Parts: sequence; structure tokens; C-alpha cells
Amino acid sequence: MRATRRQFLQATAGAGTGLVLAFHLPDLLSSDKPFVFDANAYIRIASDNTITLFATRSEMGQGVRTNLPAALAEELEINLSQVKVEQAVPGPRFKGIRMRTSGSGSSSGSFTALRRAGASAREMLIAAAAKRWSVDAASCRAENGAVFHAASGRLATYGELAEDASRMPVPGEPKLKEPKDFRLLGKPLLRLDGPAIVQGKATYGLDARVPGMMYAVMARSPFLGGKVKHFDGSKALTMSGVRHVVPIKSGIATGVAVVADSTWQAMRARDAVEIEWEPGPNKDFDSEQYIRKLQAAHANGRAYPLRSAGDVKQALAKAAKTLEAEYEYPHQVHAPLEPMNCTADVRGGSCEIWVSTQTPETAASEVATMLGLPAEKVLVHTTLLGGGFGRRLQSDFVHEAAELSKAIGKPVQLVWTRTDDTRHGYFQPASIERVRGGLDANGKVVAWWHRSADGGLTVLGQPSAEEKNDPKYYANDEAPWGNFDNFYQFPNHLGEYIPVENPVPTGPWRAVMYPATVFARESFLDELAHAAGRDPLELRLELVRANKPIDIGSYHIDLNRMVRVLEVVREKAAWDKPLPAEKGRTWGRGIALNIYHGSSYIAEVAEVSVARDLSDLRVHRIVCVIDCGFAINPAGIEGQVESGITWGLSATLHGKIDFRNGGAVQRNYQDCRVMRMDEMPVVETHILPSSERPAGFGEHPVPHVAPAVANAVFAATGKRIRRLPITPEEMRRS
Amino acid sequence: MPTFTLTVNREPRKVDVEPDTPLLWVLRDALQLTGTKYGCGVGVCGACTVHEGKEAVHACSISVREAAGKSFTTIEGLSAAGDHPCQKAWVAEDVAQCGYCQPGMIMTAAALLARKPDPTEAEINQAMSGSVCRCGTYNRMRKAIQRAARAGR
Repeated sequence: MRATRRQFLQATAGAGTGLVLAFHLPDLLSSDKPFVFDANAYIRIASDNTITLFATRSEMGQGVRTNLPAALAEELEINLSQVKVEQAVPGPRFKGIRMRTSGSGSSSGSFTALRRAGASAREMLIAAAAKRWSVDAASCRAENGAVFHAASGRLATYGELAEDASRMPVPGEPKLKEPKDFRLLGKPLLRLDGPAIVQGKATYGLDARVPGMMYAVMARSPFLGGKVKHFDGSKALTMSGVRHVVPIKSGIATGVAVVADSTWQAMRARDAVEIEWEPGPNKDFDSEQYIRKLQAAHANGRAYPLRSAGDVKQALAKAAKTLEAEYEYPHQVHAPLEPMNCTADVRGGSCEIWVSTQTPETAASEVATMLGLPAEKVLVHTTLLGGGFGRRLQSDFVHEAAELSKAIGKPVQLVWTRTDDTRHGYFQPASIERVRGGLDANGKVVAWWHRSADGGLTVLGQPSAEEKNDPKYYANDEAPWGNFDNFYQFPNHLGEYIPVENPVPTGPWRAVMYPATVFARESFLDELAHAAGRDPLELRLELVRANKPIDIGSYHIDLNRMVRVLEVVREKAAWDKPLPAEKGRTWGRGIALNIYHGSSYIAEVAEVSVARDLSDLRVHRIVCVIDCGFAINPAGIEGQVESGITWGLSATLHGKIDFRNGGAVQRNYQDCRVMRMDEMPVVETHILPSSERPAGFGEHPVPHVAPAVANAVFAATGKRIRRLPITPEEMRRS
Repeated sequence: MPTFTLTVNREPRKVDVEPDTPLLWVLRDALQLTGTKYGCGVGVCGACTVHEGKEAVHACSISVREAAGKSFTTIEGLSAAGDHPCQKAWVAEDVAQCGYCQPGMIMTAAALLARKPDPTEAEINQAMSGSVCRCGTYNRMRKAIQRAARAGR
């Protein structure tokens, strides 16, 4: 049974409201401690006037520990300088509240729930004050952490009202503020964690320190899915500080853990462990051969229909001009700067964990099952994440640490070396996309046939035999994204998917399924435009004109928003103006569009120059126009757009993981290159004002980058890039 | 195990570790100064950047044997109250995203500004390009360095 994309997405939406607490804390009612008013899961107000807001999503740079408190504080009528932000630990307090941080849904998904929580607490505090003063609640107002009664000039701080407020009924439908009255939302907010980060005081997973803890690294199987056949740790055990050598069976990169008094002692003893590996079924796996298998599947694999309109085959047969192209997308690794790690303390029938994770509640329940402990005996503390990008949605490294701590009976921090992190993990899948298109005599696109072939995300599992038999299985699942939800208005349109099993563990990576499909779609549209002798932006404008909103599966898309985005990007990128002329180099512009899950409408224009001998490509400027609904924190959105574009550039210019002889070839940032400051283009972000529901923006700017740059390279050189990354060798080959 | 003495954040510190222990792990595990980060272990990501005297160096690539007798400053010792011009500029420009690379980035930038109080954009790029920010905060970092340089004028 495979988890569907729909389930995957549902896991990102907020389920519970958290407005009513599922537990009480009677011990806190004793007289020597301040009275604590837990207005709801998110808000705690103590009689000494300390206000604690609980962050229920993981902070991995997207600003949730600022944006989520801001949504609470807005309605609660407090300032962010008055609050303490505490990271939520999964447990009864947060029952029913999604803590999983994925799908760029943190700010958008919990926005209304948080506002309701803030408003609910505010109304309880006002009700308490009104009762105390025997006045009408409507004559009181909340501001700056206090309730005022203007007519009598009376004031009470939230701390003073905490105890009375706790006896007020929880409002069923708290009244939310009008957006015009917002003080915090919609305004640029500085990150609350900023000062701690710049002083080195912020705590990441690897900074967890527990009394008596040991440090560990693992010797990991060089083969995907390989296992330890036999090992001898006796030599390692003679080395300084080494305490234990333990085989580890959980996780995805099994092997032997070396436990020592310090990280370095564990690292230096790792090579001294003698291991004979059982390579398993993938010992000869080679990603180049897998690419050929994907190509072959386009000819002989089973294609599942995703989308169909008109008769694409007939339209191609009748078209004045037809084109066909194949695009190759390689495996990619997340490579967050903080490598995977976990600190676990499994002793005396309980387990405590400190980890940078995107899914603390899943990690807790999985570890409870694995150790045979009741759920309440497993506590997971989420630290700051030194990057998540989807990799930290998996808990394999948490399982390993828990298994190891249990085996040695001590707290232990298990760290992945950079090489472990590069060679193992849940990669972004490689794909081969093939697109056929037809133009009529007037240069209109009359046919579009897009086939995607890849191995899907293995973390979701494989479909059952019954599911495989259902021709609508992938259409119902609305995947792969980017092919299924292609929003262009073609009279004849066929989208298809060919699944091809991949032994590489794969999972969500920033923008998940979009990067490969959007690279193909937006590149091929550019090819069609050039074949028709038409402007690529004009052609797109023609293809996104629709009289009314359209529905694609569960997505409701208003193409007028895309038209507006296109018109603004045309102006901001000076699309119709000539580029500089430079001796020895040629310049070009390229454009790409995408609508991410029917919610964020984005266009990007890349400006590049290429040396005439194709020895060097420079990306000079990327202009991004984004309509992501109401902008909760414009400064945060701008930061995320720059971040997403840099991420996309790393994949476009450098990113790729090859597999040979059953294992990943790349090992560290030298051969798994990512963007650095000297390559960084100017990035201009234009956020369109909108009163639509807030949508995500953390992953959404990623997929455009590769096709925008590839299209710009074509404009500059006439070289059509159909395989990533775009290296000088690739430009010469094209 | 042998004992080594080195100066960290203006205080002499004695540590009992193996001679090949990288300064990075001395700081993090022996001295509990976790502001210096592990990213690559081979001097290619810059997350562990500290100052040796006034120069930016990779703590992962210096053994304690080499570090003995020398003086180092880590992010924890860069300023008394987080008020080094780079730290202030970093907050003002809202640079940090995940923030993991930022202590190393700030140490690199601080060393650059100590050497070149008014660096050109090319000099900033050159000094900073030994370091990786996977969140891609490079443009804001460049602005923060320029802001810190202005503050120092």
C-alpha cells in the first residue's frame, strides 16, 4: 500500500484547532508559583505577566518561530517583545494539532487556527475584566497586553486577569480582527531568533548536551540497502576514548556504531572497525543505467493517463509543425549544512530525544513502537534545524540513535559525517520527461503530450497490485505534480506517467515533484515558441488566458492571477528591452512559470551571459514576481524567494548525485557543489498585493530556476539544454 | 592523554585530548563552545570558522597540537553583548534563515572587515566564498557586510 500524494498533503494541513486544552495542570495552582492560565494549546499567560507562545512547527529557516507567534500576538493584542516563544513538545497539550512541517504549509496552513487561538484568549481576558469591573465587555478593549475600560479609565494587565480569565467559557466563534487593523501581519518582521543565532547561542540538534552523554558515528554500508555480514570491533575498542562498538539495524544506511567520549574519538576509530558487508540486491546499481531504463520505459512502459482533453494524437498528425524533446533530471541530495544527527536517552522504560526534525510527533510514535514503550514515555524535543528541505521529514536517524542508546544504556549523540549525509539519505528522484507538441500554421499550440517517467517517492511505499491495475490510480493521486496540474490551456492535451521502480531511497526535496516536470514543461514551451517564431512570454500569455477560474483535480486555479504576474514580470524584468552587448560573451533572458498546488502564482525571468567558447555561464539577475495571497510577512517571503532561487540555482548549475557500484559517488561539498556568494546573481522579488488566502512560498520559487536559466542560455547561445546540471561540458554537448 | 593549553576568547584553557583532535571538536566537545559548527570536516564549508589572532581559519582543519599556545576567538567571544558591527548588521538585515552557517559567516566577515574596513563587492565575494549557506542568504549577507562597513566608517 502506497501512501497517496493526497494523504501526504493532508498530513501538512492543520487538523485540530487547539482551542480547548485536553489536560489540566493542578500542581501549578499551588500558591507559591504564579497562576498559569493556559488559554489554549498555543498560549500561556502567567499571573506574573509572562506570556508564552508555543511554536507548533519546526523552525528550519522559513521563519515559523516568528510568523506563527505573530499571528497569535496580532489577535491577542500583545507585542512580540513581550513574549517568550517555546517549542512545542508533542504530547496531550498539542493533541490534534499537526506539528509536521512540510509542504510550505506552516505559515499558510495554521494562519487562521492561530488567529482564532489568539482571538479566543483575548475574548476570555476581556470577559474577565468586564466581569471584574461589572461593565459590558463591548466597552472594553485589549491593547498591548492589557484590557482597558475607557469610560472609567481602568486597566488590568493580562497577568492580573489570568486567574479570572481561566474561569471564563472558551468562545465558540471568536471574532477575528479586520486585516486593515493589523499591526504585525502583513508588515516586515525581523526574525525573533536572529540575536541568538548571530551570537552562536541558538541550539541545533548537534548542540544538544545531556549529562553523561556519549558521542557516536557509524560505519555505513557502501551499498544501497546493504547489511553487515560480520564485524570485528576489537581493534577500535583499544583506541582512546572508545567505549562501545555496536551493530545498528534500524534506519536506511545500516552498519556499526562506534561510541566514544568525544565526537572525534568516535570518528577516528570508525575506520578501525573491520566489517564484511552483505551487499544486497543493489550492489551493481548504476544511475546511468537507470536513466537508460527510464528512457526505455518511454517506449515500452505502461503509461497511466493523468490528464486528457481533445485528441492529442490526431492533433499532432494534423499539426503544421511538430516537435519532440526529452529532458533528463538527475538524482539530487538535500545537503543541509547541519548533517543528520540525533541525541537519545533510552533508560528505565522511557526515552527522551533531542533532534532537529520536521516531524517530532511521527518520530515519537515510531520510536515508541520500535522500543515497545507507551507513547507518553517518549519525549521529543525539537531544536532549531540547520536546514530541513524535506530530508528531516524522515526519522531514520532518530531510530538509529534510539536503538543505540538502548543498546548501551546511556544517552548518546549519533552524528552523520558530511560524507554519510551526502551518500545516504532520501534523494530527489531522477526522471526522464518526454514532451511532444504541435503548432498550427498561425503558431498556436494545438497539441501537448507530456510523459513523465520516474520511480516516485519511495518513502510513500509502492502501490498494491490492485492499485497498479487501476488506470486512474495516478490521476486520482494527482501526481506527478507539474504534469498533472499543467495549467496551460491547450485544445488537445495528454499528460501521462510511467512508474519505473528505483532502488534509490527517495523522498520529498524542496519543491518535491515539480522541479523535474517544470524543467521539461517550461523548456519545451520555449522550444515551441522559438519553433513558431514567437516571443516565449507572449506565447505563455496566450496560453493562460481563460474566461473563468479552472479546476484541475482538487486545484482551483484563477488564471487571471497568472496573467497579472506575467504582465508585472514583463515590466520588472524589462523583457522587451535589449540586453548589454559584451565582447567575448553573449547575453540572454529566459522565462518560466508555475502555479504550485493551485495556490502560489510565480513567474521568474533569468538573465545570463555565456562565454562565446561556452567555457563559462554566469547568471546575472533573476526577477521573481509572486502572488501568494495575503503576504503574512513580506520580509520573510522575500527571504524565502531568494532562498528558493539559490536552491534552484545549485541544482541548475551544479547539483547531481551519481550512483556507481551500488553507492553514491559524491562525498562532500567539493564534488557535491552548491551555490556560493561569488556566483550569486541579483535577485529581485516583487510580491503582488492580494487579499486571497495566504499560500506557501518556501518551496514555490524553486522549480522555475532551471528552465528559466536553460531558456536564457538558448536565447544567448542557441544551445538547447535538456539535461541538468548546466555545466560548460553540457553546453558544448548540446 | 596529553594536555594542551590554548587561549580561547582571551582565557587560557587546558584540554586533555588526543593530539590529532581538530580544534573544532576541542571547542564543541571539550569546551562546550557549540557556536562553532560542524558542516564538512574538511575545510570546504566554513561553518567552523574562528579567528586565530585576527585571521579567519577553519577550526576543523587545525589539530590541537598545532593550536597549542595560540590564541583563538570564537563566535561566543566576538563581542561582549552580541554588538559587534557584523552581528548588529546581521540582525538589522534579517540575514539568518536556518542560521546554522551564520556564526562561521560572521567570523569570516569580521576578519575581512578588520583587514579591509571598506571592502569592494569583489573583495566581499572572494572572502565569503569559502563558506556555504544552503538557505541561500548570500545577498542579504553581502548587504549586512556593507552595512557593518558603513557603521565602522
